[in-house]
Amino acid sequence: MNKKPEKLCLASGGKAFFAFLALIMMALNWLMVNYSTAAETKPAYALVNCRVISVSSPPIEKGIILIRDGLIEAVGAAEKISIPPDAEVIEASGLTAYPGLISAHTNLFLEIKEQEQPQTPEEFLSAYTQPSAPQEFPEHQIFKEIKPKKQTVESYHKVGITTVVVAPNQGIFQGQSVVLNLNGDQANEMVLKQPWALHLNFTTERGIYPSSLMGTVAFIRQKFYDTQHYALHLKKYSASPLFLKRPEYDPFLEALLPFVVDKKLIVFQCNNQEDIKRALRLIEEFQLKAALTGCNEAWRVTEQLKTYKIPLLVTLDFRPPNTSIYSQQGENARKKAEAEIYPANAASLAKEKINFSLTSFGLSESSFLKNLQAAIKTGLSAETALRALTVEPARALGLEKQLGTLEPGKIANLILTRGELFGEKTKVVKVLVDGILFSYEEKSQ
Amino acid sequence: MKNQSLKIIFFLALSILLVFSGSWLLAGGNLLIKNATILPVTGEPIPKGDVLIINGLIKQIGQNLTAPAGTRIIEASGKYLIPGIIDTHTHIALSGTNEGTDAVTPEVNMAEVINADDTSIFTALSGGVTMVHTMHGSANVIGGMNVVLKLKWGKPSEQLIVKEAYPTLKFALGENVKQSNRVLIPGRLQRYPATRMGANALIRRELLRARDYMAEWDRYEKLKNSKNPPANLLPPRRDLRLETLADLLRGKLYARCHAYVATEMVEFLNLAKEFGFKVGAFEHAWEAYKITDELLSAGVGISVFIDSWAYKMEAAEGIAYNAAYCTQRGILVSINSDSAERIRRLFNEAGKAVKYGLTRDEALKMITINAAKQLGVDRLVGSIEVGKQADLALFNEHPMSAYTRCDLTIIEGEVYFDREQIIKEREEASAKKGGN
Repeated sequence: MNKKPEKLCLASGGKAFFAFLALIMMALNWLMVNYSTAAETKPAYALVNCRVISVSSPPIEKGIILIRDGLIEAVGAAEKISIPPDAEVIEASGLTAYPGLISAHTNLFLEIKEQEQPQTPEEFLSAYTQPSAPQEFPEHQIFKEIKPKKQTVESYHKVGITTVVVAPNQGIFQGQSVVLNLNGDQANEMVLKQPWALHLNFTTERGIYPSSLMGTVAFIRQKFYDTQHYALHLKKYSASPLFLKRPEYDPFLEALLPFVVDKKLIVFQCNNQEDIKRALRLIEEFQLKAALTGCNEAWRVTEQLKTYKIPLLVTLDFRPPNTSIYSQQGENARKKAEAEIYPANAASLAKEKINFSLTSFGLSESSFLKNLQAAIKTGLSAETALRALTVEPARALGLEKQLGTLEPGKIANLILTRGELFGEKTKVVKVLVDGILFSYEEKSQ
Repeated sequence: MKNQSLKIIFFLALSILLVFSGSWLLAGGNLLIKNATILPVTGEPIPKGDVLIINGLIKQIGQNLTAPAGTRIIEASGKYLIPGIIDTHTHIALSGTNEGTDAVTPEVNMAEVINADDTSIFTALSGGVTMVHTMHGSANVIGGMNVVLKLKWGKPSEQLIVKEAYPTLKFALGENVKQSNRVLIPGRLQRYPATRMGANALIRRELLRARDYMAEWDRYEKLKNSKNPPANLLPPRRDLRLETLADLLRGKLYARCHAYVATEMVEFLNLAKEFGFKVGAFEHAWEAYKITDELLSAGVGISVFIDSWAYKMEAAEGIAYNAAYCTQRGILVSINSDSAERIRRLFNEAGKAVKYGLTRDEALKMITINAAKQLGVDRLVGSIEVGKQADLALFNEHPMSAYTRCDLTIIEGEVYFDREQIIKEREEASAKKGGN
């Protein structure tokens, strides 16, 4: 668009006219960009005449929600709440208000590092024979790498998600995650909790230790023991340095101290049922404060999960893991399991009265919604599903006082839908995040 | 007073509950197998006998036995009942085999990576195998800790582990660890050790380190418990690698050593003598026939293939008479599969020993009681005796015959493989599909 006028200018004698045209087009362009982002900020809004599902208390058929300075000021039946004069009134009859959904594990806003394909024979040789650089950086803050995009934010709004955990995705000791409110594209303004947790994955390195799963388990255990020893050494040294060799500074162990010693949250990514058991063994051995994520085979280990009562961040990704029996009997059996067995994961956990959060980990936003509907078809109640995307993750994130329900004082994260949430034809019409309004009106007929 | 008695009643109720739930958890199935030719392995064959299994244990062996009402009865006339087959060297039911990035990795434990979903378990059951010693691979001089599993197909991994078995640590010598069959990649250093003498030296070096480690801890404990412990006493760093080796030196672990050549086996026995650790068995041991005296005096058994020698240089002097000859010399010999496929016909492998001079009974022992002895579970399994766990396999012909096949595999009184049933199910499934 910017190049075109330039060309025209060169081509014609009516320079002034074309320069004027170009200016107008640039102005129009600027206006269009600004109008396409539907976000609006006002100090106060009053959502009136909507059905309110607050999650914390029974539904209100005709309610009002007052929002001021990014927080919920009041929620109640229409007749009980008076609208302040400065509030912009949003007529919401026919719409239902829910707390914004929380996906407690995503890899949003991370630039996918494209692996360079080897070209020359020498590159080929080295790619397949030389060990990779180690991926272990427990001190790594994923926050420093995120590049929020408005487009992504909006597509998540459209499935009702207003809050996400962005977790790192490389290595065994992957680094530390951040909790973001999807209120725009300015990373600093989006942060709810930074850092949130240390993320561990039962994966392997390539060509360097640990290159096998059993090596990985031993590697994690050794690092945890080393951290305990490092902490003890530091403690003794700071109490009295006399007759004690000073501890050698170790950035790896330094990064683990808050998690292993001070029991900050560690999130174990569990890619299959055995990973869940491996994680539970580590949690028990080192008395960690932990949550489990992934867990699409949680239905196979309900006995252990009932005993341990650990926050579960269950993905709606139904692809059976490679270790599973369903993956060893051909493509048809695998697909059948993906369509018929794994969607019932959440429903079986609910049946066993195990609390869990649902996440979009490993999924696009459209398949998140599709899979959520599939999970509900297997017997998961919509109510439990809603809790698993609101209050449960809010608690898991330690943000239960700020998020998860529509209650006065909480952060104004809410969605307005036409139709029941999770319904096939339901549309998310308006989204408020930190009190910032985003409108996604249906196209008028 | 009232409170007290309430408390007592509560604890009584709790303990009764615990005892009952405990026994219920331990209990296997009930079965009555009738009219089978029983090969107990440790005793004389019973031409037409019954075996009664109650709660997973062999309750009675005899004729015309009766079972409590509701017990499943298996009519086995014309069939051969043997103890469940035990494979002393496999790598099935695991997620991963080697931690090949280092020549010394005793800190890894195969019990951490059991995959109870591995279909090889089912394959093995179809060949009458009920127990396996599933091991770290042979890439490293000192590999990882191994685990003994019962092949309870469909049960969660933790229920497969046989806790009573010897804890074992994998060692390996020869071509695999010196990586002599690998193409040397330009620009990449060859891993130490590259020779047999290097492997021997590396083991010695690591065991000396483990000794130092133990001494370091001893010194710490001594100081800590002394009358005036020094201020600022710091315990040594816990090192999982050395801790496993220390356990080996303390006699808590058995070495299971992959070795082919006579000289390296003798050298390993010398190391064991020098450092005072226990050797469970030599794996593959193709040249064991050359050192039977040494093996006998050390009391070390072998776990071998039957007749697949000469597939690499160090197996060139293997002989098919190895297992039979060593058995006749009095060495404890078991036959292993080392393969997810060969495991389903391990009985055929053992049967071949008959050609090389063993009786059928002796041959059968190599995959049952001998294997159980090598794994330290012979008081539980490995033969058909009253009181032992009912791990059994039913064959249509003598299991050492070339024409035999396994029809039924039982673990602790529960049927885990039933050929007839499976064929029926498959036929029904294909009929349902309307297959052509």
